[in-house]
Amino acid sequence: MSTAFDKVLDARGMNCPMPLVNARKEIGTLNPGQVLKVMATDRGSVADFQGWVKVAKNVELVAQETETTDAGSLYVHYIKRTA
Amino acid sequence: MGQTAVEIQLNSEELLWQLRRRQQLFVLDVRAHEEFERFPLEGPAVTAINFPYFEMLEVGGQDDMVDSVVACVERELDHRLPKGSPILAICAKGSTSELVAQGLLRLGYEANTLQGGMQAWGDHYDTQIIVDTRDLGIFQISRPARGCLSYVIVSGEEAVVVDPLRHPTAYLELARARALKISAVIDTHCHADHISGARTLAAESGSRYHLHPYDAVHPLDMVPAPFAYEPLRDGQVFTIGKHQLRVLHIPGHTLGLVALLLDEQFLFPGDSIFIRSLARPDLGGHAEEWAPLHTRSLRHLLELPEPTTVLPCHFSTLEEGDRAGLFQATLGELKRSNESLARLQGSTDAEFGQYLLESLPKPVAEYVEIKRVNTGLVSLAEEDAATLELGKNVCGLAQAAPAEKRDEHSIRQSS
Repeated sequence: MSTAFDKVLDARGMNCPMPLVNARKEIGTLNPGQVLKVMATDRGSVADFQGWVKVAKNVELVAQETETTDAGSLYVHYIKRTA
Repeated sequence: MGQTAVEIQLNSEELLWQLRRRQQLFVLDVRAHEEFERFPLEGPAVTAINFPYFEMLEVGGQDDMVDSVVACVERELDHRLPKGSPILAICAKGSTSELVAQGLLRLGYEANTLQGGMQAWGDHYDTQIIVDTRDLGIFQISRPARGCLSYVIVSGEEAVVVDPLRHPTAYLELARARALKISAVIDTHCHADHISGARTLAAESGSRYHLHPYDAVHPLDMVPAPFAYEPLRDGQVFTIGKHQLRVLHIPGHTLGLVALLLDEQFLFPGDSIFIRSLARPDLGGHAEEWAPLHTRSLRHLLELPEPTTVLPCHFSTLEEGDRAGLFQATLGELKRSNESLARLQGSTDAEFGQYLLESLPKPVAEYVEIKRVNTGLVSLAEEDAATLELGKNVCGLAQAAPAEKRDEHSIRQSS
């Protein structure tokens, strides 16, 4: 499975709330229509990104994926700036 | 860690102390709504509001979390927060709530953060002494956030553990501190609400795992457990020092449920009688067939002497504890104070069976999978296990809530 993206945010090893705080900042640097790929190891980020896109303006959660790696689970979020 | 951070941390043990003393506690829970609803912090004097941290970021609109908290509280939360009394910030693991507490402090509020968050609180174990004489010890080991109770029965250097919860540490530490040898680990039944620690503890302590054979089969999948165990049978007696622990097969909540009777004096009823409720008969998916068995088993337990001390497997609220925070009552007390037990005594089998079926809470989706884990059909990594058993047990009948209200009312009137 591959989802197109324009920029990557590596939030591996970061504790809540940093994956979301940093993603929010990065999204501001994208053009409307572009997608940010966020890689996180914090499991809570899955529900948090889902909740965040409901209250944030001009963002859309395109996809979420979980990858199993040797270092544990990796939670990947694709967020599009819509306007 | 800075000095401020140390001062504002409240750990799970301190939290439990406050909850037991019914201290007023104002909670600002910053997890997502779904997580807050599934596993809120509960207590007799807890007031909680839920405002997810990602909403704080949007409302506050700052790049920095603490700055966003400050701006968000000024804009939207100020009128909902208490002035002059502490606010406990809570999140999943304790790092976000610390930033929230820092924001509140900056605004002049009194604020604390729950160390390790709801994960630490959910995994907190508390050990209390029921009996501790030269010859006999009974320890009640609980996970207060989940309402789960387990027991260690001690005589001399020997210990038997009943219904140990998922993490073996509390039991191994008690055994080490008192130089005890764990001789047997018993599950009164195949638990549905939490992952049993019995097989792990038996392996780590070099003892044997005991279970009734009827509960070594998943009741819905009808697949037998692949692990080795010692089969419990009705009437079997464990000798612990000078004490005798007798097995009573009391099917109903599960088909292989047993109660354990210590010296005809202490009853470990498994999931049958709780302080304010009774166990539900539907978690195996055969409520109509199991309700009559449950009724018969409960009547059997009621024949025991009234001074018998009942040491249950669960509680629903910390208020069920006595003044010392122990979850115990005599059978005689329960015959009068437990509404469902009172009803059993005044009903025919058919009437009571009907009452059981009308009192069933909603099924819990996770419970089918938890039983698979407990029958060894599925094994999980720590993080998945923690997620699966998150939240408080729902092993009792649904009428517990109104009964509590009546109890409170009568206590207030009589005191």
